[in-house]
Amino acid sequence: MHAARNLRLCSKDCVCLFVCPTKATDTENGQVDFAKCLDGCRLCVDACPSHALYLVPGDYSEPAAKDGRVAETLLALLEEKAREERAIHHAVADASSPVLGSPTSALILKALEKSLRIVAEDAAREAAYMLPQSKATLNLIDQLLEERPARSGGEFPERELRELKELLSRA
Amino acid sequence: MELGYSAVFSNLAKACEKQLRPREAELCWKISGYFDGEVPAQAPGGGALQDARPMDLVDFGARCASDESNHFAATKEAAEGADDRGALRMAVWGSKVNAIQKSVAERSAKLGETLLQDKSIFVCEACGFIFIGQEAPEVCPVCKAPSFRFSKIS
Repeated sequence: MHAARNLRLCSKDCVCLFVCPTKATDTENGQVDFAKCLDGCRLCVDACPSHALYLVPGDYSEPAAKDGRVAETLLALLEEKAREERAIHHAVADASSPVLGSPTSALILKALEKSLRIVAEDAAREAAYMLPQSKATLNLIDQLLEERPARSGGEFPERELRELKELLSRA
Repeated sequence: MELGYSAVFSNLAKACEKQLRPREAELCWKISGYFDGEVPAQAPGGGALQDARPMDLVDFGARCASDESNHFAATKEAAEGADDRGALRMAVWGSKVNAIQKSVAERSAKLGETLLQDKSIFVCEACGFIFIGQEAPEVCPVCKAPSFRFSKIS
């Protein structure tokens, strides 16, 4: 569990520089040096007058399994919002064309597309996929590697899925 | 799941960014991008895309109304039955955002170019709430996120 700095809150009082035993808080990029930071030390977190330092857990406990019906309704909602997002995405292409569309409707459609994605992500999070390190996520990666669903316009991301699985299992 | 993979992985990408894991986030964004591609018509599930053709704003408004009485109602009922506060929170915010999506689509269909006169359109990155005005609201009325969480659509 290492410390991290939220630059939006940091008021440059620099108390963290005095209290850190390993100089992990003294960097040029504004962020804590995670490699130098001592696991769970939290001296800087407690000392910071602006609450700009916080601890990032190295491992999370496994989330409780979802009720079957709750997961089912959330996944159906996710799929529906994803379908609408795609339909609106096709319409954005039409609206951007000078023949069919107008600048206003192109903006409205773009806003709807983004909004639909955020709602779909929220449903995905609550259905099972909140934590990248959870069993649900790792099982999904395995399932995708096995089924290799086809999509046009790109090569199946096998290398990416394998590397992601490796990094997340290690966490 | 068929079309939802892209949102699952864009959500995981954002989660990795918040955990300060840039490499994992980058991989999730790439995987999400792959699943933005079209399902080939001959592939299993390709037929599911029949209704994913361009949708006009009036059709979309009607779709939101049916989502409210079907998907959101079912999710709320299941979440209440299982006493799952997280799922219930999602269903409540989602249904409020769904109502705004419906209203924006219907007003846009009716008013055309005049809807955005001297105004901009903003989306809350936390919950998806859509706001039309000169500046983003100080606080999101749905999820209470502060104004810096709003993105201006351009």
